This record gives sequence, C-alpha cells and structure tokens, in this order.
Amino acid sequence: MIKLIEKIEGEAKLNFNFKEGKIDFVDIEFMSTRNIENILKGKNAFDALVINPRVCGICGHAHLIATVQALESCYDNLKLSNKAKIIRELTLSFELIQNHFKWFYLTMLPLFGHKQQILKATYPSQLMGKAIALFGGQYPHTSYAVVGGVVCEITEMDIIKLQLYIAQTVKFVEDNLVKTESENFLTCKDADALLDYEGDLPDILRQIKKDGFLEHGKSYDRFISFGQNSYFKKGKSLKTKVIHNISVLHVKESEMPSSFAKNVSFKDKYYEVGPLARAMVNKTPLVTDAHKKYGDSIFSRILARVCEISQLLQHSKKLIKDLDLSEESYIEPSIDISKLSSSGYSAVEAARGTLIHKVEIENGMIKNYEIITPTQWNLSGGTKEKQGVSQKAMVGLSDVKTAELVFKSFDVCSVCTTQ
Amino acid sequence: MKKKMRVLWLSAIACNGNTHSFLNYPYIEQFLDDFEFIYHPVIDSHYTLEDIVSKKIPCDVLLIEGAISKEFKRVDVSVVDIIEKYSKIVQKIVTVGTCATFGGIFRESGYEETSGMHFDQDKPSQKFQDLIDKTISVSGCPVHPEVLVNTLYAIKKEAILKLDNFLRPKEFYAYTIHNGCTRNEYFEYKVDNHRFGELEGCMFYDHGCQAPFTHGSCNKVLWNEVNSKTRAGLSCMGCTEPTFPKQNLFSTKKNMAIPENLPVGVGKRVYLTLAGISKAFKIDRLEKKLFDD
Repeated sequence: MIKLIEKIEGEAKLNFNFKEGKIDFVDIEFMSTRNIENILKGKNAFDALVINPRVCGICGHAHLIATVQALESCYDNLKLSNKAKIIRELTLSFELIQNHFKWFYLTMLPLFGHKQQILKATYPSQLMGKAIALFGGQYPHTSYAVVGGVVCEITEMDIIKLQLYIAQTVKFVEDNLVKTESENFLTCKDADALLDYEGDLPDILRQIKKDGFLEHGKSYDRFISFGQNSYFKKGKSLKTKVIHNISVLHVKESEMPSSFAKNVSFKDKYYEVGPLARAMVNKTPLVTDAHKKYGDSIFSRILARVCEISQLLQHSKKLIKDLDLSEESYIEPSIDISKLSSSGYSAVEAARGTLIHKVEIENGMIKNYEIITPTQWNLSGGTKEKQGVSQKAMVGLSDVKTAELVFKSFDVCSVCTTQ
Repeated sequence: MKKKMRVLWLSAIACNGNTHSFLNYPYIEQFLDDFEFIYHPVIDSHYTLEDIVSKKIPCDVLLIEGAISKEFKRVDVSVVDIIEKYSKIVQKIVTVGTCATFGGIFRESGYEETSGMHFDQDKPSQKFQDLIDKTISVSGCPVHPEVLVNTLYAIKKEAILKLDNFLRPKEFYAYTIHNGCTRNEYFEYKVDNHRFGELEGCMFYDHGCQAPFTHGSCNKVLWNEVNSKTRAGLSCMGCTEPTFPKQNLFSTKKNMAIPENLPVGVGKRVYLTLAGISKAFKIDRLEKKLFDD
C-alpha cells in the first residue's frame, strides 16, 4: 500500500510491503528535486552565499555556514577572528533550536494524538529568529557570513538584547517543555527520572512507554556526525563505542532509481545522523542512559532532539561570555576570489544532522558543487537487502500510522533534495 | 462564530522559505482566528493534500509559493492544473515570494518552462492571462511576514489596493529598500570606504548593494521586528525584483568608476554632478568611527 507523507517540507511517498501483517519493506520515493547544484555551476563563487540558504526554508542558515566554510577551505592561510567564529556558531545554534521547537510542536505532537501547538512552536522560534536577525539582518535567508568573517559589527547593546532573547527562550523551556529549572534538566543523567517531571516532553515520553512504543523506530544503532565545532564532536558511534578519527573522504553518494534523493553511506554502511547521533558521539549522559535502556528507538530520538535545545541554549550563554568585542568581525582575504582555483569542502551540523558541501572553483567561478543533506543520510531508500536507516526502522511495525511516526521521528526535509 | 476566510497555501518549486517566514508573524494567534488554512505545508489542516488535488474544497484565497512549471507535480497532479482549478473559485490569488511572482532562484531548476505566475522575470507571461485581475504579488525571497499577512487582511476587508506594474501593493513596494537604512548618510554624502564587519559605511559603491533601486519595505518594516540586512551590513541582494538573482552579487558593477545601476529615477549626469558636490562636504563625523573615543 502506498501512503503519501505530507507536512514534511515537501512530500514523500512510502510504498509499504506487508508480510504476515508486519511491514516487510518500505520503498521511499522523494518526488521532486530543486536542482540547486546545477543552478550554482558557472556562477561567481561568492554568489553561492546568496543562493545556498535558499536550498531550504527551515535549515537555510546551516547551508549558509556550510557554504562559507567550504569556500574558506579553498584558501591557504585565510584568517578568521575568534569573534567571527563565535558569532557564526551562535546563529547556527539558534537555527537548530528553532527547528527543534517546530519539529516537536508542529510535527511530533499531532502524531501522538495531540492538537498541534502552533503558538508553542512559533513563540520560541520567533525569539531565535530575532537572535539570528540581530547579527544577520533577517531570518530566514540571510547571507551575513562571508569569506573572512561576518558582515556585522556588534555592540554591548546587541549582546544585552541577545541575552534577553536567550533568557526568554530558556524560560519558555522551563514553563513548557520540562517544568523545572534548566539546570536540573541539563544535569539529569537518568532517562526514567526525567519522566517524573511535568511538561510536554515528559508527557510524550510517558506516552511512548504507556502505549508500548519503546521498541519502535530502532535501526542499525550506528551513528555518525561530522560537523565539529566548540560543542559538537566529530565521530561515529557503534552501539556505544565512539571513534573520533573519521574522514569525510569515506562518505559516498549513490543514485537510487526510484527517488530523487541519492543514498549516502560511510565506508559502504548506512549511519543515522542528527541530534541522537550527536548526543551519542558527544556522550551526553541523559541520552546515553536512554540509549542504554531503550536503544535507538523513538524514545531516545525524541529525547535527544529536545534535550539539545537546552544544551545549545546553555552553550550559547557560555559562547557569549567568550566574545571579545574588540576583535575584528571581518578580515579581508589576502587573495581576490577571481584569482583562486581550488577545491574544498565543509561539514556542519544542521538541525537534522550532518550537512556536507563540496566545491570546486576555477578563477573564482564555481565549476562544481555538491551538497549532501541530512535527509539523504537518514531517509533515502536502499534496497531490500541493504535498507536505509529509516527503512530499517519501520520494518516489523504492524500499521502505517506508527510507521509514519517513526519516519517523521527522523524529521524529513524533501525540499533539501538538491541534485 | 464569525466566518473565517479560507486560504489554500500551495507550494510549487519552492524551498518553503515563505512558509517559515510567515511563521515569524508576531500575531499568529489572532491571524488564525480570522483565517483558516484549508491546506498549509506545516500547519495542520482539515484537509489533506490528496483532498485538495482530488476534490474542489471551498476556498476564498489561493496562495502560491514557488516557481511554476506544468511539469512540477503535487500528488501526481501538475501544479498548473491545481492552480487552474482553484483560481476559478477563489476571490483572489496571491503569489507569495519572488519565485511565484517572477521565477526567482528556482526559475533555473531545470523544469520545463519555469516562471512566475504572471511574469517570467520582467516579461509578462501569457499562461494565466485571464487571472491577472484576481492576482496580487508579494515578492521577496522570502516574503516579509507583515507584507503577506497585511495584504491578506486587506483582501478580507475588500480594501482597494493600488498595485504597481508587477501587481505588488504600492503600500509596501513603492518604497525602496534604501528608505530607512541606518547607513543612509554614508550614501548621501558619498563616503565610499565601506568595509564588511563595521557599523559605518554604505555597501552601494563597492559591495553590490541594490537597496537604492530595489522596491520593498525592509527598512521600514524591520525583519523579525529587529533588523534588516543593510542595517546589519549586508548588501541588499535585490530579492524583491524580477531580476533576482543577478550575478556577482557582492560587487558593484561600474562603468568608468560609476555604478551601473543608480537610484530609481536618477540620471547619470545629475548623479555625477551631485556626487561631486556631496563629496566636497568631507564630514568628519562620517569619516571617523561612529562610536568615537
């Protein structure tokens, strides 16, 4: 039976094959493509900073940061101030946070039979949008990160405003998501103890337990994360063993006949990316405890994503303290882009997981551009013999409605199909 | 219960940027009291997309996001067919964002004959000729949430909106992005030494700022209620215009040291004369850092 999955930034078609009342195989088809990679060819390299955020309306900022880092990797000895690095990291974190709120309140809650809570999604994500706009001028679709730094200068007053947006968002979390001081949530190491709290997150987690959904959504139990920064570590996690020494060079894309989204594998194996993967690689105690108890199920996946909201808010407060306003926001590159022929790549963590950009430049013009999105890692379809991450997670379920929940627990973004 | 206006939000070849920009509208609670989405890309609706394409659901306003091509389908139905079906029953059609209005970034997405609804860049398109009187365009990449929402309220109120040649409400698009920019003085007095990463300076001379010849209200109705790209120090990329995206966006195209594109309605000779005079001001305050020791 074929089911159209909607309200996922575009749509996908899932073709379910049942065997003895259980899902045996799911064919995933993304039905359209936006061809951004082709649009970029032959354009001035800096224009990618304007075009690429428009890959995606919800994670466009991650595409901007990936673009600027890929371009910068083409230079030798490019200078970047610590201040610019921190500002970029802050705005990227804010985008992740707004995305997590929207996913939890707009996508996940209705799948558990609750009414969609639009204002609980928009209120905190608007605050995070303001925080990005403070530096970038607007959200979505700013291009404020340029080769050599950021275009903005910030003042003490900006910092004060920023701290207020963050404090107000923290307050929202404490009043709604997990009703306790964030400190308690952040230091909680026991996934079951979290269930004793009130709040929208514990409500959903309790419901997963009560409804017997704890086994749902398990896949390969293999995780990977490439987008290193001051908070996220690079690495892969197999069950609980973490290896940090991994290279993007082993990431491969391959075409699938039925779908516009190419498959992505690391050393010929499929890995899950996203907040759960990041928490496993980072060894976040609360998430690894959930994983120990409930594996790579929807329980752990949802917990990891919501947990990241508080972690990133706390980390952002720390980053702001590290800002030295006397540093330069922008340092002009010593070589003009029109004289540059080179290639490079970047990996950043977008809300849904690792995003990789690869670029080839000839005399400042784009010769080739490749984008590997988180949706390709988690949701592109494999064959029955070698299933993709989300495909495997749906096998064995007995109904399509639960399968949709599992599929969406990875969070799908089909507008990101860039090829 | 008062009657809500029924709105269909249809995405064509889009990044969903307008969808998320709309979610930044500050008074969304009130908006949802006055309007009902019969379908929206992320907000729950009474009908599924399958209902929308297979039936004809009663609807008052059709919103189109994304570039349009007959080849692009939603649930196996061409977006052109969906548009034609609903355009017959709605009071108004709104093309939301630059892709739906002019083709925008996704005009180059490789689908057959991709363009905006009534315009292929600045050229009028014949495709939906009979619907032109029903259409209002709110361009921008993305659209500003206030521009979209207030236009919808104007439709609800049946207010008469004056539109420009691209069907955009003059209320928002008669201004240029330059209006209200905090860097205006550097432009007026021709202080042309802008560097990125500074509060001072104007991006018009060297860094490709298109604000003086781009229509919109970005510096009048601020983004996310706090800022604008040009205030932050990023050039206006001209995203509300049919020509978006131009090439080489971070540098100003010049002929004999004079910017090729001048402010709307300004002649080259007059510009040169005035620029020469303005430069003579040599205003110390604008040559120095804004927050001077």
